[in-house]
Amino acid sequence: MHQTTVWQKLDQQARRGVPVSITIFLLLFSMVPMYVPGVPSLAPMYTLMAVYFWSVYRPDGFGYGAAFMIGILEDLLVGTPLGSTALALLICQWVVLNQKKFFKNRPFLEVWLGFAVIAVGTGILRWLCAGLIGTGRFSPFGDTAGSVVLTVVIYPVIGWLLAWTQMKLMQQP
Amino acid sequence: MRQTTGQITRLGSLKTLLQRFAFLSLIALTFALMLIGKADTVFVERTRIAITDAVMPIFRILSQPANAIAVTIANVRELAAIREQNARLRDDNGRLLQWQSIAQRLEVENRSLKALLALIPEPTANFVSARVVGDTGGTFAQSVLITAGTGDGVGKGNVVMTGEGLVGRVMQAGTRSARVLLITDINSRIPVVVGEAGNRAILVGDNGLRPRLLYVGAKTVVVPGDKVTTSGDAEAFPPGLPVGRVARVQDVIVEIEPYFSRDKLQHVRVVDYGLSGILATPSPPSGPKK
Repeated sequence: MHQTTVWQKLDQQARRGVPVSITIFLLLFSMVPMYVPGVPSLAPMYTLMAVYFWSVYRPDGFGYGAAFMIGILEDLLVGTPLGSTALALLICQWVVLNQKKFFKNRPFLEVWLGFAVIAVGTGILRWLCAGLIGTGRFSPFGDTAGSVVLTVVIYPVIGWLLAWTQMKLMQQP
Repeated sequence: MRQTTGQITRLGSLKTLLQRFAFLSLIALTFALMLIGKADTVFVERTRIAITDAVMPIFRILSQPANAIAVTIANVRELAAIREQNARLRDDNGRLLQWQSIAQRLEVENRSLKALLALIPEPTANFVSARVVGDTGGTFAQSVLITAGTGDGVGKGNVVMTGEGLVGRVMQAGTRSARVLLITDINSRIPVVVGEAGNRAILVGDNGLRPRLLYVGAKTVVVPGDKVTTSGDAEAFPPGLPVGRVARVQDVIVEIEPYFSRDKLQHVRVVDYGLSGILATPSPPSGPKK
């Protein structure tokens, strides 16, 4: 009886850790070379998609600490100025959590539209941070715009994958 | 009942307050980290190296399927063009045999001339081959992660090449991984020479696919197709390494098409020419001293 309880607790903990683990996996996976022409120059913001998704649908399993940690990890791995991605992800999460009423039980199209607005804001913020904190030189804004468009376009695919993961791994059997 | 509802409301507002406090604290921490990143670049660089080294085994595993698919596609393409390629190789072979006899004659001549001048030979460069397992994307930074580090003889400042041309320079070296700053990165500055006349300029990346030439002389004529090679100035790169060719000239903007293609970057050669010159790196080296 006691053993079952321990297992149950472990199981619950593991399920609670799914959003963070999946987001870290997405970050690492996004850095794997895909050998597709043109793709490396237009990198979609995968972690933003994940942070937005979990903030909208599972805010209980993804706190500010998780967004901060993933942002710092991304900055360290990708080579962007330390703190810039963390700031962008934290602000994205803050906006979503402050607009809970807007996002609650909304059709997917509206959630997607909300994501598009946030992606534009995040793109501008990261571009500014990279220029101001990094080298003092701004990279062409066209590439950032392209990355934002790509991020918005593929959000439904990543959102669907995350929703599937949530259903398979986070629901109690 | 009313007391329980009140307790729940109080708990709810306490939770909101804690969340707000956590958010503000983390934002403050983010700004503090930004300042640390500017002030203590050595610490940040060491942390980056440690994290990259730690996740390298995961990158090695994750990159296997994409690598295998890319190799299979390349094999299938080669099979399709095998007849045409064979004919071309036969032609090349004939031409190369002619060049070989010329080269042998020149080598003998060169050796005798060197002996005549008592020339001290240049030290030979050591090289390591490594696989590219991580690509940081291109919007805000252009670097790749490779599977060789200080344990394999790779050090900060080493030159990274493919068969086609210059890829970049090792900017951070961990024990089993290294980060290569591509020539297209916004932080990259390379002294180069352009065209047959050998005019000097600086190749500067802008995180796009085509880096640009800066400080081209006012009277210098640059036309599309001109070859760009390293000049050897500042001792960061040896002279004569192929970099790319001029793709577009518009007023003062000269865009260069690098010889290496980013989407085919599977393996690279890391060469240690024993050069100590470092460009655009304000921090002191943290890797092993050369």
